Amino acid sequence: MKTERTWGWPIAGYLFLGGLGGGAIIVSSAADLFLGRGGVFALGCLVTAALIALGSSLLIFELGRPAQFWRVFSTQKAIMTAGAWMLSLLIGTSFLQFTFWPDFSPWRTLIGLRQALAALNLLLGLGVCTYTGILLGSLKPRRFWNTPALPVLFLVSGLSTGVALQSLLAGFWPYAGAREAVEAVHGSLQAVDLALIVVELITLVVYVLMMRTTLGQAAERAAARWLTGSYALPFWGGVIALGLLLPLVLYALGVQVLPPLCVLTGGLILRFLVVYSDDRTFLPGEEKYLSRLPRGDEPFLKALK
Amino acid sequence: MARYAMILDTRRCIGCESCTVACRVGNKLPIDMIYNPVTTVGPTGTFPHVHMLHYPLLCMHCENPPCVSACPTGASQQAQDGIVWVEETKCIGCKACVQACPYHARHPNHVTGTVYKCDFCADRVRQGLEPHCVKTCHQRARIFGDLDDPGSEVYQLFNTTMTVQLLPELGTDPSVYYILSAGGQG
Repeated sequence: MKTERTWGWPIAGYLFLGGLGGGAIIVSSAADLFLGRGGVFALGCLVTAALIALGSSLLIFELGRPAQFWRVFSTQKAIMTAGAWMLSLLIGTSFLQFTFWPDFSPWRTLIGLRQALAALNLLLGLGVCTYTGILLGSLKPRRFWNTPALPVLFLVSGLSTGVALQSLLAGFWPYAGAREAVEAVHGSLQAVDLALIVVELITLVVYVLMMRTTLGQAAERAAARWLTGSYALPFWGGVIALGLLLPLVLYALGVQVLPPLCVLTGGLILRFLVVYSDDRTFLPGEEKYLSRLPRGDEPFLKALK
Repeated sequence: MARYAMILDTRRCIGCESCTVACRVGNKLPIDMIYNPVTTVGPTGTFPHVHMLHYPLLCMHCENPPCVSACPTGASQQAQDGIVWVEETKCIGCKACVQACPYHARHPNHVTGTVYKCDFCADRVRQGLEPHCVKTCHQRARIFGDLDDPGSEVYQLFNTTMTVQLLPELGTDPSVYYILSAGGQG
């Protein structure tokens, strides 16, 4: 009977994977459309399909009745339904985008079709990165989420983890072109990731500090937990120091593989902290009431089992 | 069409939690589920001017229910008479409604995997009976009825007494109203 978290680790994992996949496919598609370097990021398309599929499986795993998940497609208006459509589409279309690249692909010469698909995936990637923030942000009772800054934070973090992942994958199979192109791409990815890290750092710190001063005790309670309470170590140590500041320094020192890994870890921790901050304004007398409920380990409850 | 509402007269509620028990027995709820807790605020003030309030809670059956708009499958619905309910066969247990509800009125059932909630004892109400919690309240602190029926007690109380809704700033427009004190002041 203890007050448990409504959404657990699978949702945090999904939010991370969804943002990561969305960000990665944005990089692949944008590179193909605007820079003509889609080939370097071909593997990213395949990995995106896998990540989004894995994330969607986590969503289904979290359901009370996983076998009934298809019902999520049966209405029109809920944000979750829109998200489910975007995820399902993106799994298919990002895989399709990948199939244009390997040598053995029969349709590798259909460049127009590939670019149309890239344009679609660019939009889907943006959608997948953002809708989760809109979904959580539209839940009015959850005071720490209910702000227009949450979709922005999710989008920036999704992009930055996506860029980090792509800088690990760039140039691998099925890419078989010149190595100089890969080197050039690494350089620009690093610059983009640096900019994103700075933006994310500002967004995140401002977000949490503003929540500390916002109206309503619930948001304040959650923000206090982030800043000085039980989430302080994962927030300051994990997200800010390991996930944002350390990669900044390492990029400046010219280190290659380590900074993206730090960014990915920080993004994952951030999603956990956000999902676990579903604080709600207490109804009159509710706080005391909840504190007096059985916690689940009482002898009389054990005797019943 | 009926427009069901409940008025909770905190001047009368003594915090006995009979309604909590009647609801659980009448609706055969699992051991870890409570639809209508009674919370206590206070005692506040200094002796001899002390004051204590009990809030019998339940699903607010909002006019504008956030749980219904959050539901991705259409399992959460609002009936014509204002009762917000869950069609269990359509519920997939995504718990979006649990997150969307400001009143802690939605309860995941870990056995069925679906989400349960107070439905104003719809089966009883539509047969002309009172909900279990109203039926059992010996202090008559829970007053249930049809706000569209000028002859109903709930209509008359609503139009003659100062009532408040919980968390009105969220725009949910609950059909559950509270009378807070004799003077009508919070």
